[in-house]
Amino acid sequence: MKRREFLKLSTTIAGAAMTVYVPAGWSPARTAGKWKVGFSQCTTLEPWRVQFNKDIQAEAKNHPDVDLVITDGQDKTEKQVADCDNLIVQQVNVLLISPKESAGLTGVVEKAIDAKIPVIVLDRNVDTKRITQFIGGDNVAIGKAAGEHAVKLLGGPGKAAGNVVEIWGGMGTQPAHDRHDGFHAFTDKEPGIKYLLNNQSGDWKQDKAYNIMTTALRNNEKIDLVYGHNDPMAYGAYLAAKDAGRDKDIKFILGIDGLPNEGVTWVSKGQLTATFLYATPGAEGLRQAVKLLKGEKLEPVITLPTMLITKENAPDILKKNGLL
Amino acid sequence: MKVLRLLSRTKLYWGLLLICLIGGLTSPHTSSGSNIFLSYANLTDVLRQVSITGLVATGMTMVILLGGIDLSVGSVMGFSTVICAMLLTKPGLTAASAMGVPAATIVSGVATALLARFIFRGLARGRDIGAGRRPDIAVSPWRSLWIPALLGVLCATAVAWWTTGQVPTKFGVLGVLLVAPCLALVLGAINGLLIVAGRLQPFIVTLAMMVSALGVARLTAGQDNAVVPVYTGTNATEAFEMLRSMLWGVLPVPSVFFLAAIILFGAIMRFTTFGRYAYAIGGNVEAAKLSGIKVAQVQLTAYLLSGLLAGIAGVLFVAQYRQGKPDAGAGLELDAIAAVVIGGTSLMGGRGGLAGTFVGVLIFGLLSDILQLQNIDSNVQLLMKGLIIVGTVLVQEQNLGQLIGRWRFSRSVEAQVDPKTAETHRLPNAPTADFAREDLDEAS
Repeated sequence: MKRREFLKLSTTIAGAAMTVYVPAGWSPARTAGKWKVGFSQCTTLEPWRVQFNKDIQAEAKNHPDVDLVITDGQDKTEKQVADCDNLIVQQVNVLLISPKESAGLTGVVEKAIDAKIPVIVLDRNVDTKRITQFIGGDNVAIGKAAGEHAVKLLGGPGKAAGNVVEIWGGMGTQPAHDRHDGFHAFTDKEPGIKYLLNNQSGDWKQDKAYNIMTTALRNNEKIDLVYGHNDPMAYGAYLAAKDAGRDKDIKFILGIDGLPNEGVTWVSKGQLTATFLYATPGAEGLRQAVKLLKGEKLEPVITLPTMLITKENAPDILKKNGLL
Repeated sequence: MKVLRLLSRTKLYWGLLLICLIGGLTSPHTSSGSNIFLSYANLTDVLRQVSITGLVATGMTMVILLGGIDLSVGSVMGFSTVICAMLLTKPGLTAASAMGVPAATIVSGVATALLARFIFRGLARGRDIGAGRRPDIAVSPWRSLWIPALLGVLCATAVAWWTTGQVPTKFGVLGVLLVAPCLALVLGAINGLLIVAGRLQPFIVTLAMMVSALGVARLTAGQDNAVVPVYTGTNATEAFEMLRSMLWGVLPVPSVFFLAAIILFGAIMRFTTFGRYAYAIGGNVEAAKLSGIKVAQVQLTAYLLSGLLAGIAGVLFVAQYRQGKPDAGAGLELDAIAAVVIGGTSLMGGRGGLAGTFVGVLIFGLLSDILQLQNIDSNVQLLMKGLIIVGTVLVQEQNLGQLIGRWRFSRSVEAQVDPKTAETHRLPNAPTADFAREDLDEAS
């Protein structure tokens, strides 16, 4: 037998063997459920998204009649569209989607609706009214809560005073603008509050925020409050202040997200003053999907509430998540 | 004319001075009236901020000088941060130690064997030349192979014994500094081997590595960890305090790594045969091959070193930002390439050097510091950085004068072609070595 023939033959045999032997835990074993729910996640490169996936998986364990298929868009619109196409072809009973961006995913959502698959959109909306339901947090409301808390920390309404550093998330993203607008709805009323930075974006990242804060510390001898659009950035700013030996002067560092293994931990250690929960719509999304499958009617929009997390209630949250 | 030529040759350094001048003049002042930009704290801070990109750019310069490119450095660095953070925080046998310890063992074994071989060869040569015999170690298999190999195995065993002794607890700084870069070096070696032995395009191979190293990093961190945190207050960060502190209160430690790398590799590229060979290969691979240079060996070494430096950068990243994450180095390869190109190294290879890269990295860092001190909108900062890359390279490549000249007196420039430009920009109908060779190939 020639070598090439031998190679061809052995590959074929190996391939055939592989089709018979499918490792345990792969999809065929999971077709036991009555309903198939597809969830298209846009990325798993951020801690918040990872928590999102954990939440939806934890909720899926409570519904044995549901098969949950999660796809990862890897932070690319075209990959996420392909994922959704794939889920539509698989004829899932409900499609959950957390879009990377609105415009690029509107088409495929409409395609799913046309294919008679109900779509529940999570966290970020799409540009069409034809969806079944939208579930998400309200970034403006969270920003407002943060602003209210900041005013309280700086001396109370009417007499609040101090220098504030605001570190933006991605400049082009709606959540960053909402968190900014909400915050300023409260703080702009206070004449004593001065803003030190002009639209500095930390791109939601701890290391970028660290470098922005280093320069801000150098430029300004007095900083009273840092407002990070998410926890990692607030923490990065805290680290910069700590490395500069000024973390004790800057008493109030606020973040948003409230993930148990991030923000809540930092708050409980006293490194951040407070954080605000931006709950993932994972668990609620799956509950609503099950409701729909059982024939109930859904409300068009569900807004998830926020929660102030301070040193007082942080340990309870950590305990609930098994981290303490 | 001589002065002009000197000015033109050193224009990169003048550019650096100019930027410092602009920074100093426009900088805001503290309440006591001192200049913030020119303050020692700010300048050392810039050095610290650029040192991660700088380390990566050092390796990139060598690869680019050889006419290659390494797109995988960002992912390799991210991988290194994950390994480092896991070794620091997770006790016991994790994916990180399972991969890292054997890698460190193998790398240290090979390195010791090579070093021992080098020493033995030197010894043998010294003695043999004295005795008037052939100065070739290959005649004695005992000296050339067995003793070094034995030494290597012994040392590797020592390292393995030491590192596995560390596994049940958390790794110390030294262990991490050894293991994470070694693993990165292995990734660099895979790049190099595929390029050299597989005869693939560096672009393709390192692109593949860029994608797959990210995947491996995420698998190592575990699906439910987008970030591996190294919390302040734990032992891990106290031990790592050293890596982000100021050395004797003078220089930030990360920048010491960067400066050491620049000086070390700058000297290697300038004074050793390896450096000569690298320039020769970058200039013309065929000619280098024909003159008996071991092209494969030199290329392999360059990719290896690029991986190693990215690995060290990863450890420094963890020390500074207290977290390891798979996408820590996203976009880093492009920053590094930009710094190398600003520094005057040609992407075609064979021209440029590490001194240029050092200045390029500094220019990049100082500019973003100035923009940040001026508190300029982030989006505008991005735009300005882009403009500055193009502007610097235009000036650097001497094309600006030509461009303006051509635009204003297009005819007269064409008329007076000086021999230097004729050499670099070949006239289409001039017979060249390449054409001649093609003719020969056709004829035969």
